[in-house]
Amino acid sequence: MATLHPVDRAADRRSGVPAIATQGLTKDYGSVLALDSLDVTVGTGVTGLVGANGAGKSTLIKILLGLLDPTAGSAQVLGHDIATEGAEIRARVGYMPEHECLPPDVSASDFVVHMAQMSGLPHAAARERAADVLRHVGLAEERYRPMGGYSTGMKQRAKLAQALAHDPRLVLLDEPTNGLDPASRDDMLELVRRIGHDFGIAVLVTSHLLGELERVSDHVVVLDGGRLLRASATTDFLDTTGTLLVEVLGGATERDLLGRALHDAGFPSRPRGNVVAVEPPAPGDTRNVHDMIRDTAVDLGLGLVRIQPDHHRIEDIFREEVAGAVQPH
Amino acid sequence: MPSSHTEPRTGGPAGRAGGVIHDIGYRPYAGPRGGHGAIARSLYLTGVRNVFGLGRSGKSKILPFALLALNVLPAVIIVGVVTFIGLSSLPLAYPEYAATTTILLGTFAAAQGPILFSRDLRHGTISLYLARPLSATAYALARWGALATGIFAFVMAPILVMYLGALLAQMDAGEQTTDFLAATLVSLLLAGMLASVSGLFSAIALRRGFAVVGTIGTILFGYGVVAVIQGISLEQDQERVGEIAGLFHPMTLYAGLVNVLTDADNAITPPTGAAMEVLYVVVSVLLALGGLGLLLLRYRRLATR
Repeated sequence: MATLHPVDRAADRRSGVPAIATQGLTKDYGSVLALDSLDVTVGTGVTGLVGANGAGKSTLIKILLGLLDPTAGSAQVLGHDIATEGAEIRARVGYMPEHECLPPDVSASDFVVHMAQMSGLPHAAARERAADVLRHVGLAEERYRPMGGYSTGMKQRAKLAQALAHDPRLVLLDEPTNGLDPASRDDMLELVRRIGHDFGIAVLVTSHLLGELERVSDHVVVLDGGRLLRASATTDFLDTTGTLLVEVLGGATERDLLGRALHDAGFPSRPRGNVVAVEPPAPGDTRNVHDMIRDTAVDLGLGLVRIQPDHHRIEDIFREEVAGAVQPH
Repeated sequence: MPSSHTEPRTGGPAGRAGGVIHDIGYRPYAGPRGGHGAIARSLYLTGVRNVFGLGRSGKSKILPFALLALNVLPAVIIVGVVTFIGLSSLPLAYPEYAATTTILLGTFAAAQGPILFSRDLRHGTISLYLARPLSATAYALARWGALATGIFAFVMAPILVMYLGALLAQMDAGEQTTDFLAATLVSLLLAGMLASVSGLFSAIALRRGFAVVGTIGTILFGYGVVAVIQGISLEQDQERVGEIAGLFHPMTLYAGLVNVLTDADNAITPPTGAAMEVLYVVVSVLLALGGLGLLLLRYRRLATR
């Protein structure tokens, strides 16, 4: 199939070996095609893996951990082949699952020490690492209490701490903000950002909520029905579109008055909400759009409130691309 | 905190003087990392501790230690009586002890198996183990080993008390040591069989209650059924039937093993003839290893699910 190749691979090339690289990765469960010839490269920093439930995010993570064999294709994690070097990959990767995974009768402190040991750290080093990562994720005195009594936010922090316990080179975070209230969600996203940027650990973070990832991720990979819909730098998603949004005092009448005048002046304009969206002039047009808008508003006697550049949001792109894609259901 | 947060960061050890916790940032780990052997050993040791509730909440220590105390108590009493009266031999042979405390042993095996197996499956912790270097097979092996060790320690604790008591009472040391070592051997086989039964139930039933009921049902109720068959066959002078029936339960297998491998005897219909004796040993080993094999298979399936 004609795969959509990631647009931005420059960042990956800079770091040498990519954190994750897949070639034609396919997983066919028989009844469901979970991954369909996926080509994707993930570099350093934070990469958001976005897709609706069932888009293949969890399947991809399991294959990357070497827990699930792909039907076809190949993949490398930190330069190690998933087919032959599963144990090496799992020694260098941290995994935070989406579902519950904490024993209720053990304290976070004991649990993170144990999990660090399960990655090969000696006991003393495991204790030191556990204290460090629990501090980083923000679990204070409660770390000595059994985890069964934790709030969702505290559980998510403990899950994240065990993923970091062995100082991995890459962490796979499956829906870390799931079930969190807005304040905890912001804290968790800030933590994710710090792991990718301050800790120097590559992060692949999944979410079915598109909006939250654009704040913390450097790259975004969009999956839909097991196929790669788009992969590019977050900034590409969020680039200005060239369109200007203009708001004037008054209501729909005033808005349409300005819109029609600008349209007649040769700037394609459409009403959008309570503002006028003015598209950029044709390439040969040398007129200054900002001046034209100001002058037109003055001529019409309208009170100009603001002129601002229009930005893409990840949601917009996702919506456009999904609308264009063949939807089997 | 008395010192203000605007205190300049002086750096070095002097910076700690004011009791201010500075964020020293993320520290990467550059130290040694053990291989699979070291990880498996660590998992095994944690498992042995967990069987007795150590490293877990306070109330999870109650049951294993209460059972252990009940299990050791008769041995302490025996030792006390023996030293007080000055008997020349123990009233109960070492390997017979486990047969008389089957209820305690069965309860211990049934209650503690789920701690090592059901708990990880029920709470999803298994996926964290599987995402780490150790394979599913090595994980199951370490868990089984920990459970078998816990059960073995449970069986051996009163026997050790009796052995030390016998030595203190100045019984024949050579004879006592030989009997003690023979009891150790059959206890190892018993621990292996019970760990397989309890482990298998615990790895299949995710709810602790089902695993406990299944294991207790098998060990205690099943024991009763087989013992009744053996009793009837003895009454009817059909010992062979009882001998064959004994192959179908770990406790009657154990009784047969005791008869074959030690001087003691508490089997209702002990195996007779070399072929049957060998069969008892082979079936015991097969039960322990076969159960372990099924456990490994179960975890290999889980890993690739």
